Amino acid sequence: MSRTIVDIHIIQTVPPSNINRDDTGSPKTAVYGGTRRARVSSQAWKRSTRDAFDSMLDTSELGVRTRRVVELLADEITRQDSGLKDQAGKLAKATLEAAGIKLKAARKKDEAPDESGYLLFLSHAQVAGLAELAVSAAAAGGTVTIDKKEAKARADQKQSVDIALFGRMVADDTELNVDAAVQVAHALSVHEASNEYDYYTAVDDHKRADSEEDAGAGMIGTVEFNSATLYRYATVNVDRLRDTLGSDDAARRAVEAFARAFVTSMPSGKQNTFANRTLPDAVLVVVRDTQPISFVGAFEEALRGREQDSRIAASARRLADYGKEVQDTYDQRPVAAWCVGVGDRAAALTELGERTTFDVATKAVGALVAERMAGRA
Amino acid sequence: MSVLLLRLAGPLQSWGTSSRFTRRNTDRAPSKSGVIGLLAAAEGRARNESIDDLTMLRIGVRIDQPGQVERDFQTARPVDGSAPLPLSYRFYLADAVFLVAVEGAHDLLERLASALRTPVFPLYLGRRSCPPAGPVLLGMREGTAGELLRETPWQASGWFRRRHSDATVSLETVTDCPPGTPGSVLVRDEPVSFDPRHRQYEWRSVLRAPVTVGNPDHRVHDPMELLGGDG
Repeated sequence: MSRTIVDIHIIQTVPPSNINRDDTGSPKTAVYGGTRRARVSSQAWKRSTRDAFDSMLDTSELGVRTRRVVELLADEITRQDSGLKDQAGKLAKATLEAAGIKLKAARKKDEAPDESGYLLFLSHAQVAGLAELAVSAAAAGGTVTIDKKEAKARADQKQSVDIALFGRMVADDTELNVDAAVQVAHALSVHEASNEYDYYTAVDDHKRADSEEDAGAGMIGTVEFNSATLYRYATVNVDRLRDTLGSDDAARRAVEAFARAFVTSMPSGKQNTFANRTLPDAVLVVVRDTQPISFVGAFEEALRGREQDSRIAASARRLADYGKEVQDTYDQRPVAAWCVGVGDRAAALTELGERTTFDVATKAVGALVAERMAGRA
Repeated sequence: MSVLLLRLAGPLQSWGTSSRFTRRNTDRAPSKSGVIGLLAAAEGRARNESIDDLTMLRIGVRIDQPGQVERDFQTARPVDGSAPLPLSYRFYLADAVFLVAVEGAHDLLERLASALRTPVFPLYLGRRSCPPAGPVLLGMREGTAGELLRETPWQASGWFRRRHSDATVSLETVTDCPPGTPGSVLVRDEPVSFDPRHRQYEWRSVLRAPVTVGNPDHRVHDPMELLGGDG
């Protein structure tokens, strides 16, 4: 059986920043190859990737992750039939319960509609479908009964691109679960990284203007940060994506959107403090028909000494050498590969993939993926 | 008997056998349920498919590089601004390397080996955000799990091996054993079903024992070597 897997490898330098912190406010870290590295969790980067979809895909292809599902569905029912405004909340509740989703009273607010006990991921198409069902049940008159089988079907068909990519878990009814097509690794720095502390003072303007007052600071504190050149990796299982979305074309758009969003987004943590938004220094996109392969092993021995003077070039060189070694040792020839780099520093990656620009690479991946899906059918 | 040898290595792994709710623990070595899950994923089995043939396999793990436990803290915030979800703690094993021996019938292992070369679902080391570093399959051998855990060369990373100067190194193994074997312990780690509607684990009897393997980086210390000359 022909299979299609898209691996994305990224080398990206992030200046002093704290984009993903733990409960004590420190930037996250992990030990690898015996040295402490900067780390950005997979969850954090998936969130920023998903947020970036808003500007890349039509709302109808996306989903919403919320507990306020009753309110969401009631609004849609009202939008479809304004005459049902008064009973929309009740209808929404009945429809969701028929679909197998347990609801409970909203926390804190007394007047608010019921909520699901956990974050529920629904596509806009699913919300519209469930609302249609509620509207037609109400139109039938008499006691409103919602068909359970139909409600469940509507909550399970027409998955949105983000649900298909990142998966969905419904604790009450596992039939509504969707297995994710994307796997994102925690980003790790390619070198040893230690967290640093920025000591700051804040001036009290009013006090400073008053000549009677002393010149002391109004407040002092510290912000913890680090700076790092990260290796980031994600893989998309295109066949899985195609199965969940039910359409070659949607799967192709999802692959392209994911590639664009994953490569160009960044978690928003302390963005206003550090203005740390960068784009990757080097990107390698590999299409495979065997198995996904992370090249994180290239950085198990942390960059040190002279390599640190040209971190990006050294990282690209490491990635190219390691990638070639793994591919040769295990006979894992890629179907196709492209690389994108800023300036000449990432030149080593041309040994693994054809050099191009990011837009061309993304479109080429989309075209190849579509061709392979069509060939399989 | 035949044995499939796997090398489980990566920056992060997580093998929980006792995780509940917002605290997701990890053990210090891969669990049987985790390894069986990995094999089932490679074959593309859905969660509700039977794993009866796989649970018959005998599993042994050797801790080649123990790694260290790292705690990760996670928040979840709904897009609509409604009340945030409970904070959760996840535990990972960082920087660890394991050798896993899967013992069973030749034909079944042959099929699993081929599935591991082209896995249907992407493989991960206990948690989806933990892809393995490099391919997982080391190869297939004849023998028992116990023999291969004693005979297979040390799989630790170069930097880790170089910290050991002795000619041999003692590594801990955790292997399936018949219930009641002297010195064995029971762990809730015998997967019966991965079906999310009724996930089920039975008790598994394991024996922990050290094995001694050679250190390929062992160098006889010869201070005169540095002086050069005719020797």
